[in-house]
Amino acid sequence: MKVSGAVPPVLETRGVTKRFGRIVANHDISIRLEKGEIIALLGENGAGKSTLMNVLFGLYRPSSGSILIDGEEVSFASPREAIAKGLGMVHQHFMLVPTLTVTQNIILGDEPVILGHVLYRAARRRVVELSERYGLHVDPDARLEDLSVGLQQRVEILKALYREARVLILDEPTAVLTPLEVEELFSVLRRLAEGGTSIIIITHKLEEVMSLSSRVYVLRRGELVGERRTSETDAAELANFMVGRDVVLSVERGEAVAAPEPILRLEAVSVRGARGIPALRGLSLGVGPGEILGIAGVEGNGQAELCDLVVGLARPDSGRIVFHGRDISALSLKRRMEAGIGYVPQDRRGSGLVLPFSVEENLALGSCEGPPLCRRGFLDFRALRENALRLMEDYDIRGAGPEVSVSTLSGGNQQKVILAREFSRKPDFLLVAQPTRGLDVGAIEYVYRRILQLKAGGTAILLISMELEEIFALSDRIAVLHGGELAFEAPTSRTNEIEVGEHMIRGRTDRRAS
Amino acid sequence: MSTRSVPVSAYRIVAGILTFVLAVPGTILYLASYFWGAWLLAGACAAYLADRVLELGRPAFFSLVRSALRRSAMPAIGIVAALLLGAAIMLATGYNPLSSYKALFYGGLVRGWSVSVLNATPLLFTGLAVAFAFQGGFFNIGAQGQYFIGVMTATWIGLALKLPGIVEIPLIFVAAAFVGAATNAIPAILKVKTGAHEVVTTMMFAYAISTLSPVFIRAFGGDPSHSMHPYASDTLPEAAWLPTFKSFLPEANYRLHIGIILAIACAVLVRFILRSTSLGFKVRAVGNNPMAAKTQGISIPRITAASLLISGALAAAAGATQVLGLDHRMYQDLGAGYGWNGISIALLARNNPIAIIFTSLLWGLLDSGGRYMAMTTRTPNSIIEIVKSIILFLLLAEMLYQRIGLSLRAAFSRLRRGSDARTGIEKEIGS
Repeated sequence: MKVSGAVPPVLETRGVTKRFGRIVANHDISIRLEKGEIIALLGENGAGKSTLMNVLFGLYRPSSGSILIDGEEVSFASPREAIAKGLGMVHQHFMLVPTLTVTQNIILGDEPVILGHVLYRAARRRVVELSERYGLHVDPDARLEDLSVGLQQRVEILKALYREARVLILDEPTAVLTPLEVEELFSVLRRLAEGGTSIIIITHKLEEVMSLSSRVYVLRRGELVGERRTSETDAAELANFMVGRDVVLSVERGEAVAAPEPILRLEAVSVRGARGIPALRGLSLGVGPGEILGIAGVEGNGQAELCDLVVGLARPDSGRIVFHGRDISALSLKRRMEAGIGYVPQDRRGSGLVLPFSVEENLALGSCEGPPLCRRGFLDFRALRENALRLMEDYDIRGAGPEVSVSTLSGGNQQKVILAREFSRKPDFLLVAQPTRGLDVGAIEYVYRRILQLKAGGTAILLISMELEEIFALSDRIAVLHGGELAFEAPTSRTNEIEVGEHMIRGRTDRRAS
Repeated sequence: MSTRSVPVSAYRIVAGILTFVLAVPGTILYLASYFWGAWLLAGACAAYLADRVLELGRPAFFSLVRSALRRSAMPAIGIVAALLLGAAIMLATGYNPLSSYKALFYGGLVRGWSVSVLNATPLLFTGLAVAFAFQGGFFNIGAQGQYFIGVMTATWIGLALKLPGIVEIPLIFVAAAFVGAATNAIPAILKVKTGAHEVVTTMMFAYAISTLSPVFIRAFGGDPSHSMHPYASDTLPEAAWLPTFKSFLPEANYRLHIGIILAIACAVLVRFILRSTSLGFKVRAVGNNPMAAKTQGISIPRITAASLLISGALAAAAGATQVLGLDHRMYQDLGAGYGWNGISIALLARNNPIAIIFTSLLWGLLDSGGRYMAMTTRTPNSIIEIVKSIILFLLLAEMLYQRIGLSLRAAFSRLRRGSDARTGIEKEIGS
């Protein structure tokens, strides 16, 4: 924002290139960051954003090119040196210890010590002071595991500030946040920038770039393909830069045929969540063939419990789950799977995939009982391989052969492995939770297309998502979950984002009427 | 891929047969101290590698070789580093490391090779037991207890039944495996029903069982009033003894029994179960990500039970082999470390059943070579225990490093800093 020729930028890279063997992860990248500025680093998954940040943070050494801080060339051998120079990183996956308190987490690795004694109270005072100065309110004595994800992120930011970071690098900071938390984060970041901290956010979400940053760099396949002032560009141009082609994010949905009888029905289902608090309260809903019911809602309003309940990881305390007219409340997950219930879990690395397993093994997960992949208790390796090759072709899974571990795939390709596995079983009912979280534009489009294809084939789909855009793009009907209750339900054509958003925050508004 | 030309597959069949035909006698001869068996083993290796080249094609084969080398680099470095540290300790305490190590390896690999093999046999079984549970994500720390149960079962049946060996020996193995599995059924049930951790339950069982041994020995001959051996049971009838190598290879050591061949066959079997069966697939899935396995309809309780029971059966087989092959009776407190050492061996082999064959032989040769070293050079045997501990320590440290990815990356950057040391020195000179 400041246009001063004399003052060198806080952080600058000149022609940074990073090679891993023959793969070039970053090629000739020059960016610059002024004091108090917020810039965005935009790119699809695998575009080289994280590599660049790891180079900046001293985790990797650039193959060529240089990094300058305050106009002075630096070379970091480790993150510790980068931190000493005033760099702070907030990772996508938090590096925090769940059983320690906020203060303990913040000072961990940099404790004020006198004669082997940690000056806990002095540290706590500094944490309180920091959080007040920057408006990052969090209880310094709370145990980390009791905090929400948004507050945990705050602790990460405080951790960087405690180490006197002048440059804050945030890797996909909103990937795990609810819309409300995103807003809070953004106002915190703006306040920090006003106070002189320079900020880089790494993201692939266009709206965030537009609303937060003053300048944006776009990376594609390891190269810098564009630099724009945010005020002089729009989302369409940036999307174009990112994927190298025009993307149409609005998908043709097609009308659902009015279903006579729902395939899956929840009848007044209640369940207690963790710590015995009611998580779902008398929830009733139904999904018909060839229909997508979108469940909107702020995270933590019963979505996780609803997923567990429908797929069979939990049993309802009261009420019934009816599938094809049959009460399946007591059926095991396996029986439900065999009966035709598919599940794309929200946490794809945690419960969707076995990361060390190969692509072909992950595709066989859950079908390792009988033919065609197994015979008399033995795996049929040839069938496994053929199944994988066919699905990888059908679902456009790229980046590796069938024998390669899925952990090496990008997020989008990992999700495609899950879709391929679930969709190829031709489920009558599919539960999809957060199917595009952390994916880039190209992959999102692909996932949408496959889901709609499945729906056109007559599958009943229950979509759970925290992103309203997604709900509106895919659903035929929209329901809002609030405090474990159905706060609102309407066909997509007869409602709008404002109305749904209202119910997400306020819950039921017709309580007197019902 | 599927349209492979006929000659190639013909070569592959030849290579496959050759591998098998050379490897089996080669292994048996080598284990029996007929060291020229090594030539057969080398031939088998060549045939195997040729087969893999034909199967995968050159580039894929070499990348496989490279990844295998990379995987075995750390254990190899760990072993060498531990030996060097052991040498430093010897120097510091006034022993000659060169002559000591010469005695260690001469004793372990040549002179006392049969003892090394005998030592390795039960370790191979207990190592497999621990590794199988590990593959399913469980820590069967109490293999020691299941080992003792195997010893007792074998002794009891061996003394009680008088059947021809061809019937009795398999019967004893089956019975011991069954009882070993049954022993672990209780920790398995506790784990499934109450979530009680298997480390605690199997360990407590191990101690409970070891206190049974004097009672058991007393019941089967160890009566101090009229027995020569108050701490040992009666001797098993010869019909129940495992055949020795000497019965078909005259120059083999008279004590060397075929238990090691059973153990190696077991390792191959375990590898087959883990890799090629539906059960093994599920065990590995649960071991790597129980949540994903559960979400895909794999029954966690069932897999928990299966891996703990199979683990118990393998550990008990170690005990049965020891009784039928070497001891021919049950001694009180003898072989106290086989269960515990199985944990080390499984860890060292990264729970890979084939690698366990080699790590158990390594442990066996360090034991027997260490004893030979102590006899001939007066360097105390305990130094070898220190070397073993250092090997484990280094490997566990490396595994912890891998768990904590960031630490690993920091270690790499430290290494890289080492390679960049020259520039650092230049800077210092410049300033």
